[in-house]
Amino acid sequence: MNFVSSLPGWAWIPLGMVPVGILLLYFLKLRRQPLVVPSTFLWERTIEDVHVNSLIQRLRNNLLLFLQLLFVAIAILALLRPGWLGESGAARRLIFLLDASASMQATSSDDQPSRFDIAKGKIAEQIDALRGGDVAMLIAFSDRADILHEFTSDRRRLLDALSTARVTNRPTNMLEALRAAAGLANPNRSSQASDANDVQVADAMPADLYIYSDGGFQAVVDFNLGNLTPTFVSIGEETVNNVAIIAFSAERNPEFPDQVQAFARVANYGGSTVDTSASLFLDGELVDAQNVEMESGEETGLSFQLNAPEGAELALRLDSKDDLLVDNQAYAGLSAMRNVSVLIIGPGNQSLELAMETEQAKKLGTVEVRSSDYLATDEYKERASLERDDLIIYDRCAPTEMPPVNTFFVGALPPKDWAAGVLTGPVLPIDIDRTHPMMRYLELFSLNIVEGRALQPPRGAVNLITADIGPVLSLSPRDGFQDLVMGFDILSATNDGGRAYNTDWPVQRSWPVFIYNVMRFLGGAVDTSGALNILPGEVAALRVDNRLRRVRVDSPQGVKKSLDVGPSGNIPFADTEATGLYRVMSSEGDDPDPVSVFTVNLFDSRESNILPVQEIELGYEAIASQVVGAPRRSELWRWLLVAALGILCVEWVVFNRRLV
Amino acid sequence: MSATLRPSALLTPELLARLERLELVSRKVFQGRMKGERRSKRKGQSVEFADFRNYVSGDDLRFIDWNLYARLDRLFLKLFLEEEDLHFYALVDCSASMNFGDPTKLHVAKQLAAALGYVGLCRADRVRVAGLGPAGAHAPVLRGRSSMWRMLDYLDELQPTANIPLAQGVKEFCLRSGGSGVVLLITDLMDKQGYEAALRMLVGRRMDVYVLHTMAPEEIEPPITGDLKLVDCEDGDETEVTVSRHLLSRYRQTVASFIDQAKSFCAQRGITYIRIRTEEPVEQIVSNYLRSHGVVR
Repeated sequence: MNFVSSLPGWAWIPLGMVPVGILLLYFLKLRRQPLVVPSTFLWERTIEDVHVNSLIQRLRNNLLLFLQLLFVAIAILALLRPGWLGESGAARRLIFLLDASASMQATSSDDQPSRFDIAKGKIAEQIDALRGGDVAMLIAFSDRADILHEFTSDRRRLLDALSTARVTNRPTNMLEALRAAAGLANPNRSSQASDANDVQVADAMPADLYIYSDGGFQAVVDFNLGNLTPTFVSIGEETVNNVAIIAFSAERNPEFPDQVQAFARVANYGGSTVDTSASLFLDGELVDAQNVEMESGEETGLSFQLNAPEGAELALRLDSKDDLLVDNQAYAGLSAMRNVSVLIIGPGNQSLELAMETEQAKKLGTVEVRSSDYLATDEYKERASLERDDLIIYDRCAPTEMPPVNTFFVGALPPKDWAAGVLTGPVLPIDIDRTHPMMRYLELFSLNIVEGRALQPPRGAVNLITADIGPVLSLSPRDGFQDLVMGFDILSATNDGGRAYNTDWPVQRSWPVFIYNVMRFLGGAVDTSGALNILPGEVAALRVDNRLRRVRVDSPQGVKKSLDVGPSGNIPFADTEATGLYRVMSSEGDDPDPVSVFTVNLFDSRESNILPVQEIELGYEAIASQVVGAPRRSELWRWLLVAALGILCVEWVVFNRRLV
Repeated sequence: MSATLRPSALLTPELLARLERLELVSRKVFQGRMKGERRSKRKGQSVEFADFRNYVSGDDLRFIDWNLYARLDRLFLKLFLEEEDLHFYALVDCSASMNFGDPTKLHVAKQLAAALGYVGLCRADRVRVAGLGPAGAHAPVLRGRSSMWRMLDYLDELQPTANIPLAQGVKEFCLRSGGSGVVLLITDLMDKQGYEAALRMLVGRRMDVYVLHTMAPEEIEPPITGDLKLVDCEDGDETEVTVSRHLLSRYRQTVASFIDQAKSFCAQRGITYIRIRTEEPVEQIVSNYLRSHGVVR
């Protein structure tokens, strides 16, 4: 039998005064309220009989006093929480890891607590069962770790911290949480372990690591448990029922921009066959639905065709209820078509300009042509630094400094990092990367190139066309921008100062298609095919027109957040906890213009696959799930409280039967 | 009916109209002072035959029964009952304890005294409505319907301030009024020295005594609870009580026993005991209650 004080030390002083107060009240004469009556004659006769039994009356009063003192004594005893533990031992160090990822929202039915609540309950039980010298630490984790409370022996603080834990929509990554947990158990050394003069900065403090999770994460291999003794408590029932949308995207038909194709993948992670339907909503209105019938463990694809104006907001919902609701809906957005601004600098290239004046290309944006001399002007420098253009095409010329925009060099090289071989010819294309968006729909093996140079792009570049002499069309990333370099000219200067076509590409059908692809991909018009999609909790890297000073992001819950636009138009937006469609608006005025949309979806098959695992792997160590029989503390306070209530009732009855 | 032209707080015109049809009942036959509508112990002039007696010289020849003389050849005098007035007294307890209830017990007592007094006035009885205590000294003797306003004015002036024992009040009344008759004692009987002496005194004066015991509902079922210090409004006596359900039931028993004692005391002495609850309207008390108890008919 031991006692645990439920009150801070100072609170016992006023509590100790209570019985003294009761005794004092009995010594003091009761202050009675005066009341004028016609005559006390009848009252005196009434109480005369009672005075005869004054001895019994005194006893009754004493009985009340006795009952009241007994009540206070039992209440104090209950506050001391007498109880006993199943076992006793040395003080322990415990670390509780609470999985707060999306899969922990799963619940077997509406009236049942979620896995997260069950895990919290189990941790609360463990905290309740802590012995006097035990200390515990509380960490909640999803794709990041959140230390709810450092090591402490104060149960109340731990329970308060536990009550603040909230389940998230995020995927799971345990590594950070494990590192936080290992901080004290496995202290780092001050320098290299092999150094003879090395001193360890702190003593290792072994700890018991309790992991409360459904195990919906991949094995953590890059971690050494060291002094941590792990215990895995698997949360969740063996029979689950979950159908999830694991992918959903929408794209415009390049041929007919009004037509939108939406694709979704739906998986059945439950143990039984599912027959349900998926409903597609466009701007909140039901536009299409399809039946979904899947065996357990199956995946299926859904495709929808619909007509949508620019700036469409799509939502796909599964029409069945299951254990995990967050993956039953998915969102996709189609941004309004952006006007691409293209600047061509060069001595003049009719084939390039013509290709940009096709009906399709005109829809993408505007083209401005300047001569090579323009490069030396201040206007160009200012324009390039302000990123006013989405794409600059340098035709047989090159700037001295790379502008902070995407570029396309024709017959010239960027001033840095790129090199090229000697001019040789003829050039025969032998390999074309057709998977790249810029090379789609191109048939180039019949291409004739008179002469060209083999490119030596910087590391990380993608060769789009490789000829017998080497790569002749390469795409290389540069500080968030991309440079496309073509190793041959379209138009070459002849020895007599005239111009001659270096290739027959401009007369082939693939040329305008290639230029169109370049405008879409490098110009940024490709963004229109589908809005940015990120996982919950990820930072959305938004890019807007840098002429805007301020934008507003409207979240799915209706929260509006204003953000300053950086000089380059980049806005990092981190408040992406909720799944749904986020709208980026141009200003905070009464009628803000939509700028773009992005979506947050839980497309994570590990989170959607909610079948709890029975074994996890941490640092190549398999840890089987255990039923943690917490060394439960048997407590008496509840019974004491019931007894105190009983005594209170008796006291009340005695008081009401009390005579004068 | 000119008396009813002025409105009064004590009696409504409807009640007055009803009262005019009533008559005070006396279970005893008293000697009156003046000619009235009541049978008297005295023999006198009326249409109701009483007795014969031998003629003695000096008797009024008009009353000789000549028919009897013809048959028996002896002179007999034919005696008739005399009709005289009835002495009616209404004594109103004016102690402070009467100032409780809604309406107050004193108000109800005044109403009853006025109502029955008016009945007496209508029947040409000798009516005296008096408050116990100092106010009784200048209580007017009234006769005839026209005296109603004097009676009402007197009653209006009665204040619940005369905190004297009931026996003393009755004694003072007895000393002031010589004759006997019907006496109506309207009181709450709340006298720590007892009401018995007062009633005995009235019975001893050969009065036909009616006790109208007025009680307010608050006295029968007190709406109080908790720890209280009860203060007697008359003598300031303090009684500390903790009013619980148990105590209230004891109190009710005490009230019931008090009423029973009063009833039995009255019954033994030929006094009519009538309990009046102040929440009942006076019209109802007079027309139903007092009628059934034989106070009026």
